[in-house]
Amino acid sequence: MKKINNKTWVMLAMLTMIIAIIINGCAESKLVAAKSGAQLWAENCQRCHNTPSPSSFSHEQWVTIGMNMQTRAKLTDKEREKIVAFLQQ
Amino acid sequence: MMAGCLATLNSHAQQQTTVIDSTLLERVAALEQQVADQKPGESHFMVVGLTTFGFVQHKTIFTPPGGISTAVKTNSLADADNYELSPMLLWRHGTRFLIEFEPSFDGTNLGVNWANISYFAAPGLVIHAGYFVVPFGIYSKRLAAGWIDKVATDPVGTDLPGSDFGVGLSGGLPLGSMKWSYDISLTNGLQLLPDGELQGAGVADNNNNKTVSGRVSLLPFSNSSLEIGVSALHGGVADAGSHYNNANVTMYGADINFVKNFDPILINIKGQYTRINVNKQYYTNPADSSLYSFNNKTSSLFGQLSIRPVGIDNPVFKNFELAYRYITYTAPNSSSWGQNYHENDFGLDYWLSWRTVLKLSYERRHSLSTANTTVGGTAGTTNVNSIYLQFSIEF
Repeated sequence: MKKINNKTWVMLAMLTMIIAIIINGCAESKLVAAKSGAQLWAENCQRCHNTPSPSSFSHEQWVTIGMNMQTRAKLTDKEREKIVAFLQQ
Repeated sequence: MMAGCLATLNSHAQQQTTVIDSTLLERVAALEQQVADQKPGESHFMVVGLTTFGFVQHKTIFTPPGGISTAVKTNSLADADNYELSPMLLWRHGTRFLIEFEPSFDGTNLGVNWANISYFAAPGLVIHAGYFVVPFGIYSKRLAAGWIDKVATDPVGTDLPGSDFGVGLSGGLPLGSMKWSYDISLTNGLQLLPDGELQGAGVADNNNNKTVSGRVSLLPFSNSSLEIGVSALHGGVADAGSHYNNANVTMYGADINFVKNFDPILINIKGQYTRINVNKQYYTNPADSSLYSFNNKTSSLFGQLSIRPVGIDNPVFKNFELAYRYITYTAPNSSSWGQNYHENDFGLDYWLSWRTVLKLSYERRHSLSTANTTVGGTAGTTNVNSIYLQFSIEF
Protein backbone atom coordinates (compact mmCIF):
# COMPACT_ATOMS: atom_id res chain seq x y z
CA MET A 1 0.00 0.00 0.00
CA LYS A 2 1.48 3.28 -1.05
CA LYS A 3 1.54 6.30 1.23
CA ILE A 4 -1.10 8.94 0.68
CA ASN A 5 -0.28 12.56 1.35
CA ASN A 6 -1.78 13.90 4.64
CA LYS A 7 -3.16 16.94 2.82
CA THR A 8 -5.02 14.63 0.46
CA TRP A 9 -6.61 12.73 3.37
CA VAL A 10 -7.72 15.99 5.01
CA MET A 11 -9.24 17.29 1.76
CA LEU A 12 -11.06 14.01 1.20
CA ALA A 13 -12.36 13.91 4.79
CA MET A 14 -13.62 17.50 4.55
CA LEU A 15 -15.35 16.84 1.25
CA THR A 16 -17.00 13.72 2.65
CA MET A 17 -18.22 15.62 5.71
CA ILE A 18 -19.64 18.45 3.63
CA ILE A 19 -21.45 15.99 1.39
CA ALA A 20 -22.83 14.06 4.38
CA ILE A 21 -24.21 17.28 5.90
CA ILE A 22 -25.79 18.39 2.63
CA ILE A 23 -27.27 14.95 1.90
CA ASN A 24 -29.07 15.00 5.24
CA GLY A 25 -30.50 18.44 4.51
CA CYS A 26 -31.84 17.60 1.04
CA ALA A 27 -35.55 17.27 0.33
CA GLU A 28 -37.71 17.57 -2.76
CA SER A 29 -40.56 20.04 -3.22
CA LYS A 30 -44.19 18.93 -3.66
CA LEU A 31 -43.94 19.88 -7.34
CA VAL A 32 -41.05 17.50 -7.88
CA ALA A 33 -42.53 14.76 -5.67
CA ALA A 34 -45.72 14.76 -7.75
CA LYS A 35 -43.93 14.06 -11.03
CA SER A 36 -44.78 10.81 -12.79
CA GLY A 37 -42.27 8.32 -14.14
CA ALA A 38 -43.26 9.26 -17.69
CA GLN A 39 -42.55 12.94 -17.02
CA LEU A 40 -39.19 12.21 -15.40
CA TRP A 41 -38.30 9.86 -18.29
CA ALA A 42 -39.05 12.65 -20.78
CA GLU A 43 -37.12 15.27 -18.82
CA ASN A 44 -34.04 13.36 -17.74
CA CYS A 45 -33.11 10.90 -20.49
CA GLN A 46 -32.93 13.60 -23.16
CA ARG A 47 -30.36 15.54 -21.12
CA CYS A 48 -27.79 13.21 -22.74
CA HIS A 49 -29.53 11.11 -25.40
CA ASN A 50 -32.87 10.44 -27.06
CA THR A 51 -35.60 9.08 -24.82
CA PRO A 52 -35.50 5.28 -24.93
CA SER A 53 -38.40 3.13 -25.99
CA PRO A 54 -39.83 1.02 -23.12
CA SER A 55 -39.72 -2.01 -25.43
CA SER A 56 -35.92 -1.79 -25.82
CA PHE A 57 -35.13 -3.88 -22.75
CA SER A 58 -36.84 -6.45 -20.52
CA HIS A 59 -38.24 -5.83 -17.04
CA GLU A 60 -35.05 -7.14 -15.42
CA GLN A 61 -32.77 -5.29 -17.80
CA TRP A 62 -34.44 -1.96 -17.08
CA VAL A 63 -33.49 -2.35 -13.40
CA THR A 64 -29.84 -2.81 -14.41
CA ILE A 65 -29.96 0.00 -16.95
CA GLY A 66 -31.56 2.26 -14.33
CA MET A 67 -28.67 1.64 -11.94
CA ASN A 68 -26.15 2.25 -14.73
CA MET A 69 -27.84 5.53 -15.71
CA GLN A 70 -28.00 6.66 -12.09
CA THR A 71 -24.21 6.43 -11.85
CA ARG A 72 -23.77 8.44 -15.07
CA ALA A 73 -26.52 11.05 -15.07
CA LYS A 74 -26.65 11.34 -11.27
CA LEU A 75 -30.37 10.70 -11.08
CA THR A 76 -31.88 10.83 -7.62
CA ASP A 77 -33.04 7.50 -6.20
CA LYS A 78 -36.70 8.45 -6.56
CA GLU A 79 -36.19 9.53 -10.16
CA ARG A 80 -34.55 6.21 -10.99
CA GLU A 81 -37.32 4.21 -9.30
CA LYS A 82 -40.11 6.10 -11.07
CA ILE A 83 -38.44 6.04 -14.49
CA VAL A 84 -37.68 2.31 -14.27
CA ALA A 85 -41.25 1.58 -13.11
CA PHE A 86 -42.58 3.54 -16.11
CA LEU A 87 -40.30 1.74 -18.55
CA GLN A 88 -41.32 -1.65 -17.15
CA GLN A 89 -45.01 -1.06 -17.86
CA MET B 1 -86.58 -24.11 -17.21
CA MET B 2 -84.30 -26.54 -15.37
CA ALA B 3 -81.87 -26.30 -18.26
CA GLY B 4 -81.98 -22.48 -18.07
CA CYS B 5 -81.13 -22.51 -14.31
CA LEU B 6 -78.25 -24.91 -14.87
CA ALA B 7 -76.88 -22.69 -17.65
CA THR B 8 -77.06 -19.62 -15.37
CA LEU B 9 -75.27 -21.46 -12.53
CA ASN B 10 -72.62 -22.71 -14.92
CA SER B 11 -72.07 -19.17 -16.23
CA HIS B 12 -71.64 -17.82 -12.66
CA ALA B 13 -69.18 -20.61 -11.84
CA GLN B 14 -67.17 -19.82 -14.96
CA GLN B 15 -67.04 -16.11 -14.05
CA GLN B 16 -65.87 -16.96 -10.52
CA THR B 17 -63.22 -19.32 -11.88
CA THR B 18 -62.00 -16.59 -14.22
CA VAL B 19 -61.69 -14.11 -11.35
CA ILE B 20 -59.83 -16.60 -9.16
CA ASP B 21 -57.54 -17.61 -12.02
CA SER B 22 -56.72 -14.00 -12.81
CA THR B 23 -55.92 -13.18 -9.17
CA LEU B 24 -53.82 -16.29 -8.83
CA LEU B 25 -51.92 -15.52 -12.01
CA GLU B 26 -51.18 -11.98 -10.86
CA ARG B 27 -50.01 -13.27 -7.48
CA VAL B 28 -47.81 -15.93 -9.08
CA ALA B 29 -46.32 -13.32 -11.44
CA ALA B 30 -45.58 -11.00 -8.51
CA LEU B 31 -43.91 -13.84 -6.59
CA GLU B 32 -41.86 -14.79 -9.65
CA GLN B 33 -40.74 -11.18 -9.97
CA GLN B 34 -39.75 -11.05 -6.30
CA VAL B 35 -37.68 -14.20 -6.71
CA ALA B 36 -36.08 -12.87 -9.89
CA ASP B 37 -35.21 -9.58 -8.19
CA GLN B 38 -33.37 -11.41 -5.41
CA LYS B 39 -31.73 -14.11 -7.48
CA PRO B 40 -28.16 -13.36 -8.53
CA GLY B 41 -26.60 -14.83 -11.64
CA GLU B 42 -27.28 -15.00 -15.30
CA SER B 43 -30.69 -13.34 -15.19
CA HIS B 44 -29.04 -10.09 -14.06
CA PHE B 45 -26.23 -10.11 -16.57
CA MET B 46 -26.61 -8.17 -19.77
CA VAL B 47 -24.54 -6.90 -22.66
CA VAL B 48 -25.07 -3.45 -24.10
CA GLY B 49 -22.49 -1.19 -25.72
CA LEU B 50 -21.96 0.50 -29.03
CA THR B 51 -20.33 0.31 -32.39
CA THR B 52 -19.35 3.13 -34.72
CA PHE B 53 -17.95 2.92 -38.22
CA GLY B 54 -17.84 5.05 -41.32
CA PHE B 55 -15.88 6.86 -43.96
CA VAL B 56 -13.63 9.90 -43.61
CA GLN B 57 -11.88 12.12 -46.12
CA HIS B 58 -9.20 14.57 -44.95
CA LYS B 59 -7.52 17.34 -46.88
CA THR B 60 -4.51 18.66 -44.98
CA ILE B 61 -2.72 21.84 -46.04
CA PHE B 62 0.53 22.64 -44.24
CA THR B 63 2.25 25.98 -44.68
CA PRO B 64 5.71 26.48 -43.11
CA PRO B 65 6.73 30.04 -42.12
CA GLY B 66 7.49 31.90 -45.37
CA GLY B 67 7.25 28.66 -47.32
CA ILE B 68 5.05 27.02 -49.90
CA SER B 69 1.92 25.15 -48.90
CA THR B 70 1.66 21.44 -49.43
CA ALA B 71 -1.64 19.57 -49.57
CA VAL B 72 -2.32 15.93 -48.78
CA LYS B 73 -5.62 14.13 -49.30
CA THR B 74 -6.53 10.89 -47.56
CA ASN B 75 -9.58 8.64 -47.67
CA SER B 76 -10.25 5.99 -45.08
CA LEU B 77 -13.02 3.60 -44.15
CA ALA B 78 -11.87 3.44 -40.55
CA ASP B 79 -9.57 5.27 -38.18
CA ALA B 80 -9.44 5.97 -34.46
CA ASP B 81 -11.96 8.78 -34.88
CA ASN B 82 -14.63 6.85 -36.70
CA TYR B 83 -14.37 3.19 -35.81
CA GLU B 84 -15.11 1.64 -32.45
CA LEU B 85 -16.62 -1.56 -31.11
CA SER B 86 -17.27 -1.39 -27.38
CA PRO B 87 -19.50 -4.05 -25.85
CA MET B 88 -20.38 -3.11 -22.26
CA LEU B 89 -20.97 -5.93 -19.81
CA LEU B 90 -23.28 -5.11 -16.92
CA TRP B 91 -23.97 -7.39 -13.98
CA ARG B 92 -25.98 -6.44 -10.97
CA HIS B 93 -26.26 -8.28 -7.70
CA GLY B 94 -29.70 -7.49 -6.28
CA THR B 95 -30.20 -3.75 -6.34
CA ARG B 96 -27.08 -2.78 -4.39
CA PHE B 97 -24.13 -3.83 -6.55
CA LEU B 98 -23.44 -3.05 -10.19
CA ILE B 99 -20.38 -4.17 -12.12
CA GLU B 100 -19.52 -2.44 -15.41
CA PHE B 101 -16.86 -3.60 -17.84
CA GLU B 102 -16.36 -2.05 -21.27
CA PRO B 103 -13.55 -3.32 -23.50
CA SER B 104 -13.06 -1.35 -26.68
CA PHE B 105 -11.47 -2.01 -30.06
CA ASP B 106 -10.68 1.11 -32.11
CA GLY B 107 -9.25 -0.56 -35.18
CA THR B 108 -5.71 -0.57 -33.82
CA ASN B 109 -5.79 -1.28 -30.11
CA LEU B 110 -7.91 -3.36 -27.78
CA GLY B 111 -8.31 -1.36 -24.60
CA VAL B 112 -10.64 -0.97 -21.67
CA ASN B 113 -12.81 2.12 -21.23
CA TRP B 114 -13.83 1.22 -17.69
CA ALA B 115 -14.03 -1.74 -15.32
CA ASN B 116 -15.50 -0.89 -11.96
CA ILE B 117 -17.94 -1.88 -9.27
CA SER B 118 -20.55 0.42 -7.73
CA TYR B 119 -22.25 -0.05 -4.37
CA PHE B 120 -25.55 1.78 -3.93
CA ALA B 121 -25.00 2.43 -0.25
CA ALA B 122 -27.83 4.84 0.58
CA PRO B 123 -30.14 7.32 -1.15
CA GLY B 124 -27.85 9.80 -2.87
CA LEU B 125 -24.69 7.84 -2.17
CA VAL B 126 -23.00 5.45 -4.62
CA ILE B 127 -19.51 4.20 -3.78
CA HIS B 128 -17.46 3.04 -6.75
CA ALA B 129 -14.04 1.46 -7.09
CA GLY B 130 -11.88 0.11 -9.88
CA TYR B 131 -11.04 1.65 -13.23
CA PHE B 132 -13.53 4.39 -14.04
CA VAL B 133 -13.92 7.67 -15.89
CA VAL B 134 -12.47 10.33 -13.59
CA PRO B 135 -15.14 12.89 -12.66
CA PHE B 136 -14.22 16.02 -14.58
CA GLY B 137 -16.48 17.92 -16.95
CA ILE B 138 -19.46 16.50 -18.78
CA TYR B 139 -18.12 15.16 -22.07
CA SER B 140 -16.10 12.06 -21.23
CA LYS B 141 -18.59 10.48 -18.89
CA ARG B 142 -21.84 11.27 -20.68
CA LEU B 143 -21.47 12.50 -24.23
CA ALA B 144 -18.54 10.68 -25.83
CA ALA B 145 -20.44 7.65 -27.12
CA GLY B 146 -20.87 7.72 -30.90
CA TRP B 147 -24.66 7.24 -30.69
CA ILE B 148 -24.90 10.25 -28.33
CA ASP B 149 -22.39 12.67 -29.83
CA LYS B 150 -23.93 14.91 -32.49
CA VAL B 151 -20.80 15.19 -34.63
CA ALA B 152 -18.34 12.52 -35.71
CA THR B 153 -15.32 13.31 -33.56
CA ASP B 154 -14.49 14.05 -29.93
CA PRO B 155 -13.69 17.69 -29.16
CA VAL B 156 -9.98 18.39 -28.74
CA GLY B 157 -8.98 18.89 -25.11
CA THR B 158 -11.52 16.56 -23.49
CA ASP B 159 -9.27 13.49 -23.32
CA LEU B 160 -7.81 14.33 -19.89
CA PRO B 161 -8.09 13.13 -17.17
CA GLY B 162 -9.69 10.09 -18.87
CA SER B 163 -10.10 6.82 -16.94
CA ASP B 164 -8.04 5.89 -13.91
CA PHE B 165 -7.79 3.46 -10.99
CA GLY B 166 -9.22 4.53 -7.66
CA VAL B 167 -12.25 4.92 -5.44
CA GLY B 168 -15.03 7.48 -5.46
CA LEU B 169 -18.36 8.68 -4.16
CA SER B 170 -21.21 10.10 -6.20
CA GLY B 171 -24.89 10.86 -6.07
CA GLY B 172 -27.78 12.99 -7.22
CA LEU B 173 -30.00 14.71 -4.69
CA PRO B 174 -33.11 16.87 -4.65
CA LEU B 175 -32.85 20.43 -3.40
CA GLY B 176 -36.41 21.68 -3.20
CA SER B 177 -37.50 22.13 -6.80
CA MET B 178 -33.88 22.07 -7.90
CA LYS B 179 -31.44 19.20 -7.98
CA TRP B 180 -27.70 18.86 -7.46
CA SER B 181 -25.10 16.17 -7.87
CA TYR B 182 -21.59 15.39 -6.73
CA ASP B 183 -18.91 13.01 -7.95
CA ILE B 184 -15.54 12.86 -6.19
CA SER B 185 -12.68 10.43 -6.52
CA LEU B 186 -9.23 9.52 -5.30
CA THR B 187 -7.15 8.02 -8.12
CA ASN B 188 -3.58 7.20 -9.12
CA GLY B 189 -3.41 10.35 -11.20
CA LEU B 190 -1.71 11.59 -14.33
CA GLN B 191 1.87 11.18 -15.52
CA LEU B 192 4.14 14.00 -16.71
CA LEU B 193 5.98 13.10 -19.91
CA PRO B 194 9.52 14.35 -20.76
CA ASP B 195 8.11 17.07 -23.07
CA GLY B 196 5.68 18.39 -20.44
CA GLU B 197 2.54 16.71 -21.77
CA LEU B 198 0.29 14.66 -19.49
CA GLN B 199 -1.16 11.20 -19.88
CA GLY B 200 -2.95 8.63 -17.72
CA ALA B 201 -0.50 6.80 -15.45
CA GLY B 202 -2.08 3.39 -16.04
CA VAL B 203 -2.35 0.36 -13.81
CA ALA B 204 1.17 0.70 -12.35
CA ASP B 205 1.10 3.95 -10.39
CA ASN B 206 4.07 6.18 -11.23
CA ASN B 207 4.44 7.79 -7.78
CA ASN B 208 3.22 7.75 -4.18
CA ASN B 209 0.91 10.72 -4.62
CA LYS B 210 -2.78 10.33 -5.22
CA THR B 211 -5.01 12.67 -7.17
CA VAL B 212 -8.22 14.20 -5.86
CA SER B 213 -10.83 15.17 -8.41
CA GLY B 214 -14.47 16.04 -8.39
CA ARG B 215 -17.41 17.62 -10.09
CA VAL B 216 -20.40 19.34 -8.53
CA SER B 217 -23.44 20.32 -10.57
CA LEU B 218 -26.67 22.19 -10.04
CA LEU B 219 -29.90 21.77 -11.99
CA PRO B 220 -31.72 24.97 -11.06
CA PHE B 221 -35.03 24.26 -12.84
CA SER B 222 -37.55 21.63 -11.74
CA ASN B 223 -37.73 20.23 -15.30
CA SER B 224 -33.96 19.43 -15.24
CA SER B 225 -33.48 21.34 -18.51
CA LEU B 226 -30.36 23.18 -17.36
CA GLU B 227 -27.31 21.75 -15.66
CA ILE B 228 -24.27 23.77 -14.66
CA GLY B 229 -21.20 21.95 -13.39
CA VAL B 230 -17.79 22.84 -12.02
CA SER B 231 -14.85 20.47 -11.77
CA ALA B 232 -11.41 20.43 -10.20
CA LEU B 233 -8.47 18.05 -9.99
CA HIS B 234 -5.17 18.18 -8.15
CA GLY B 235 -2.34 15.70 -7.79
CA GLY B 236 1.32 14.86 -8.24
CA VAL B 237 2.39 13.85 -11.75
CA ALA B 238 6.13 13.12 -11.68
CA ASP B 239 7.50 9.59 -11.94
CA ALA B 240 9.03 8.49 -8.63
CA GLY B 241 12.75 9.28 -8.66
CA SER B 242 12.56 11.61 -11.65
CA HIS B 243 14.36 14.97 -11.79
CA TYR B 244 11.12 16.98 -11.54
CA ASN B 245 10.70 19.22 -8.50
CA ASN B 246 7.41 18.32 -6.76
CA ALA B 247 5.61 18.35 -10.09
CA ASN B 248 1.86 18.61 -9.80
CA VAL B 249 -1.14 19.42 -11.93
CA THR B 250 -4.22 21.46 -11.12
CA MET B 251 -7.18 21.30 -13.45
CA TYR B 252 -10.28 23.50 -13.39
CA GLY B 253 -13.37 23.08 -15.47
CA ALA B 254 -16.90 24.34 -16.04
CA ASP B 255 -19.65 22.80 -18.10
CA ILE B 256 -23.18 23.52 -19.19
CA ASN B 257 -25.97 21.35 -20.54
CA PHE B 258 -29.30 22.80 -21.68
CA VAL B 259 -31.94 20.64 -23.35
CA LYS B 260 -35.47 21.93 -23.80
CA ASN B 261 -38.36 21.35 -26.12
CA PHE B 262 -39.63 24.59 -27.69
CA ASP B 263 -42.37 22.82 -29.61
CA PRO B 264 -41.81 21.67 -32.32
CA ILE B 265 -38.02 22.15 -31.96
CA LEU B 266 -35.79 20.43 -29.42
CA ILE B 267 -32.87 22.71 -28.54
CA ASN B 268 -29.73 21.09 -27.24
CA ILE B 269 -26.76 23.17 -26.00
CA LYS B 270 -23.63 21.70 -24.49
CA GLY B 271 -20.28 23.18 -23.54
CA GLN B 272 -17.18 22.57 -21.48
CA TYR B 273 -14.17 24.65 -20.51
CA THR B 274 -11.00 23.02 -19.19
CA ARG B 275 -7.77 24.53 -17.90
CA ILE B 276 -4.69 22.49 -17.05
CA ASN B 277 -1.85 24.03 -15.05
CA VAL B 278 1.37 22.18 -14.37
CA ASN B 279 3.70 23.96 -11.92
CA LYS B 280 7.08 25.18 -13.19
CA GLN B 281 9.39 22.37 -14.21
CA TYR B 282 12.45 21.84 -16.38
CA TYR B 283 12.11 19.46 -19.28
CA THR B 284 14.75 17.62 -21.26
CA ASN B 285 15.56 18.67 -24.82
CA PRO B 286 15.67 15.42 -26.83
CA ALA B 287 18.28 16.90 -29.19
CA ASP B 288 21.05 17.60 -26.67
CA SER B 289 19.64 16.62 -23.23
CA SER B 290 19.79 20.24 -22.03
CA LEU B 291 17.02 21.50 -19.75
CA TYR B 292 14.40 24.05 -20.79
CA SER B 293 11.21 25.43 -19.28
CA PHE B 294 7.95 26.99 -20.39
CA ASN B 295 4.68 28.11 -18.85
CA ASN B 296 2.86 24.76 -18.92
CA LYS B 297 -0.77 25.88 -19.11
CA THR B 298 -3.30 24.39 -21.52
CA SER B 299 -6.89 25.47 -22.06
CA SER B 300 -9.71 24.16 -24.17
CA LEU B 301 -13.33 25.05 -24.80
CA PHE B 302 -16.09 23.54 -26.84
CA GLY B 303 -19.62 24.76 -27.38
CA GLN B 304 -22.26 22.86 -29.30
CA LEU B 305 -25.77 23.67 -30.50
CA SER B 306 -28.10 21.19 -32.11
CA ILE B 307 -31.73 21.44 -33.15
CA ARG B 308 -34.21 18.73 -34.05
CA PRO B 309 -37.85 19.19 -35.12
CA VAL B 310 -39.19 16.42 -32.88
CA GLY B 311 -42.68 17.93 -32.72
CA ILE B 312 -43.52 18.00 -36.42
CA ASP B 313 -45.80 15.37 -38.00
CA ASN B 314 -43.59 14.45 -40.95
CA PRO B 315 -42.11 11.05 -39.99
CA VAL B 316 -38.96 11.64 -42.04
CA PHE B 317 -38.03 15.25 -41.26
CA LYS B 318 -38.65 14.85 -37.52
CA ASN B 319 -35.65 12.47 -37.42
CA PHE B 320 -33.17 14.98 -38.82
CA GLU B 321 -30.92 16.94 -36.46
CA LEU B 322 -28.64 19.84 -37.30
CA ALA B 323 -25.55 20.44 -35.19
CA TYR B 324 -22.81 23.06 -34.94
CA ARG B 325 -19.77 22.84 -32.69
CA TYR B 326 -16.93 25.29 -32.06
CA ILE B 327 -13.69 24.25 -30.40
CA THR B 328 -10.71 26.29 -29.31
CA TYR B 329 -7.59 24.79 -27.79
CA THR B 330 -4.43 26.54 -26.64
CA ALA B 331 -1.33 24.48 -25.90
CA PRO B 332 1.64 26.14 -24.15
CA ASN B 333 3.83 28.53 -26.14
CA SER B 334 7.46 27.41 -26.47
CA SER B 335 6.68 23.79 -25.69
CA SER B 336 7.30 21.17 -28.36
CA TRP B 337 3.55 20.92 -29.00
CA GLY B 338 2.50 24.59 -28.60
CA GLN B 339 -0.37 25.70 -30.81
CA ASN B 340 -3.43 27.90 -31.09
CA TYR B 341 -6.17 25.72 -32.49
CA HIS B 342 -9.70 26.44 -33.70
CA GLU B 343 -12.26 24.11 -35.15
CA ASN B 344 -15.72 24.57 -36.68
CA ASP B 345 -17.89 21.50 -37.13
CA PHE B 346 -21.18 21.17 -38.96
CA GLY B 347 -23.31 18.07 -38.63
CA LEU B 348 -26.44 16.67 -40.24
CA ASP B 349 -27.71 13.60 -38.41
CA TYR B 350 -30.53 11.23 -39.23
CA TRP B 351 -31.93 9.19 -36.35
CA LEU B 352 -32.96 5.72 -37.53
CA SER B 353 -34.14 4.94 -34.00
CA TRP B 354 -33.59 6.49 -30.57
CA ARG B 355 -30.15 4.82 -30.41
CA THR B 356 -29.15 4.49 -34.06
CA VAL B 357 -27.81 7.42 -36.03
CA LEU B 358 -26.32 8.18 -39.42
CA LYS B 359 -24.09 11.27 -39.27
CA LEU B 360 -22.68 13.49 -41.97
CA SER B 361 -20.10 15.88 -40.50
CA TYR B 362 -17.95 18.56 -42.07
CA GLU B 363 -15.08 19.73 -39.88
CA ARG B 364 -12.64 22.63 -40.49
CA ARG B 365 -9.54 22.79 -38.32
CA HIS B 366 -6.98 25.56 -38.19
CA SER B 367 -3.82 25.32 -36.14
CA LEU B 368 -1.08 27.92 -35.77
CA SER B 369 2.02 26.45 -34.21
CA THR B 370 3.56 28.29 -31.26
CA ALA B 371 6.02 25.47 -30.62
CA ASN B 372 9.69 25.83 -29.85
CA THR B 373 11.50 24.32 -32.87
CA THR B 374 14.76 23.88 -30.95
CA VAL B 375 13.11 21.28 -28.70
CA GLY B 376 11.43 19.30 -31.45
CA GLY B 377 8.43 21.46 -32.33
CA THR B 378 7.29 22.24 -35.87
CA ALA B 379 6.55 25.82 -36.92
CA GLY B 380 3.84 26.66 -39.42
CA THR B 381 0.12 26.64 -40.05
CA THR B 382 -2.01 23.58 -40.60
CA ASN B 383 -5.52 23.58 -42.07
CA VAL B 384 -7.52 20.39 -42.22
CA ASN B 385 -10.91 19.98 -43.88
CA SER B 386 -12.64 16.68 -43.18
CA ILE B 387 -15.86 14.99 -44.22
CA TYR B 388 -17.20 12.12 -42.15
CA LEU B 389 -20.01 9.73 -42.93
CA GLN B 390 -20.55 7.80 -39.75
CA PHE B 391 -22.99 5.19 -38.50
CA SER B 392 -23.37 4.53 -34.81
CA ILE B 393 -25.62 2.24 -32.82
CA GLU B 394 -26.11 1.36 -29.18
CA PHE B 395 -27.03 -2.26 -28.72
